[in-house]
Amino acid sequence: MSIPEKIYRWLDVRIGVGELAEKELTGYHLPVTINVWYSLGSVLLFSLALQVVTGILLLVYYVPDADKAFASVTAIMNDVPFGWLIRMCHAVGSNMMVAVLLLHMFSVLFMGSYKRPRELSWLSGFILLNMVMGISLTGYLLPWSQLSFWATTVATNSAGAIPLIGDELVQFLRGGRLVGPYTLGRFFALHVAVIPLGIALLVGVHLFLLKRIGISAPPSGQKDSRVRWKGDSYRYEEHPGGIPFYPNYVVQDMSSICFYLALFLLVVFFDPYIFFPKDAFIPANPFQTPAHIKPEWYFLPNYQTLKIFPSEFMGLMAQGLAMTFLALLPFVDRNPERHPLKRPLFLACAIGGILLWIGLMIWGHYS
Amino acid sequence: MDTSRRNVLLAALGALMTAAAGSVFYPLFRYLAPASTAVTKKKVTLQLKEIPEGGAKFFEFEGLAAVLVKQKGGGVAAFSAVCTHLGCIVQWQQGQNQFLCPCHGGQFSSEGAVLGGPPPKPLAKLPFTVNGDSVTIG
Ligand code: FES
Repeated sequence: MSIPEKIYRWLDVRIGVGELAEKELTGYHLPVTINVWYSLGSVLLFSLALQVVTGILLLVYYVPDADKAFASVTAIMNDVPFGWLIRMCHAVGSNMMVAVLLLHMFSVLFMGSYKRPRELSWLSGFILLNMVMGISLTGYLLPWSQLSFWATTVATNSAGAIPLIGDELVQFLRGGRLVGPYTLGRFFALHVAVIPLGIALLVGVHLFLLKRIGISAPPSGQKDSRVRWKGDSYRYEEHPGGIPFYPNYVVQDMSSICFYLALFLLVVFFDPYIFFPKDAFIPANPFQTPAHIKPEWYFLPNYQTLKIFPSEFMGLMAQGLAMTFLALLPFVDRNPERHPLKRPLFLACAIGGILLWIGLMIWGHYS
Repeated sequence: MDTSRRNVLLAALGALMTAAAGSVFYPLFRYLAPASTAVTKKKVTLQLKEIPEGGAKFFEFEGLAAVLVKQKGGGVAAFSAVCTHLGCIVQWQQGQNQFLCPCHGGQFSSEGAVLGGPPPKPLAKLPFTVNGDSVTIG
């Protein structure tokens, strides 16, 4: 017996890895018609892991102190061997993770996978989206550059539009009247401890739901693309005659991850500053606001919405309503049909919504 | 099955994987490796009048602790202050005119020779030149 075989035997006798692999990998069947969009979840897990690893590495040299943060980031970029690589991977990775997250969401929308019985999967995914936005926002402040400082000033300021508690809320978020060393402290804690824990927990819930409910069959290539689920008792969605997760779909997952990695490294090595406006290279100065301060691309629609509406409060309300609607979509859209072409109203609204969102983003960028 | 072709392909795959792993782990190793402690070979100059007769002055030399002793009668000597036993920093006992290592009780004479305790070798001597009222070590 070779050494790997011996290790396998040793483990199998004790914890039954063979049975586990049979149940979770080779015996876990996915619908035959499963497509490439379903591998985006694995791409997300991979990019999240990359964020965690590079984030921990950055913690080795980063100093969360308003007087030293900018210098420590500069040192990581210029002095620490390969520090630029680690930091660029973290910064580029966060942007690309948000992009993949949105694609994942769109595919779920268009394939109707959010419909019953997967309301909880949708909700947990939706909360994850918000947490990723939150971790991006808090991470943005940490380099303590002009961009960080003023973007955070603007972002925290918008909470002030909420009636009655607005001002207190802004001060609470900032840990003071203005963005300052206390803001850095609390954002650092949120970025490296609180939100990561929440994300880990929710990813667990999301995956648990996925395994418990069973994966949905893509609506395309089927005669009957409606949800056939009956709401009388719990039932795992099986796919007899489907393809095994391992090795068949794992290959798909792996190739999607490799494709993502290629794209990611292309940006990291050939255009890492694509996501960095020049204010990202100037140390924070609370006494001088740079011209045209703008948030990251995925916050541009929110930013533009706040500018369009006559009052900040209305702008916030509009965003809150849109987000609430999105969160509750599976409870609103109760039509069992899942094929996008057989749901013209949905298709029109979804495409309109995405175009509106992209339009606001472009408008925000050039305004 | 053409096994030799298979072997060549497997070897190529192995080499590729090794290169890929290397390109990940080398940057990682360099990132985490301690900042290079390239010791600057700087000479250290001390003023003799700062040290009383029979006294010693500790200073940093090439990144390590060193000591200059002004012997009774005027002679000077410079040593590495690192104990040759397990690397603690020796102390100067002005009254006894000897070094004591606080860790395991090693004793050295004002000439650096072992007087007692576990140290196996005398303290390492450092080269120095006397220039009127100042001493330059290194
Ligand atoms: S280290 Fe000095 S006596 Fe042991």
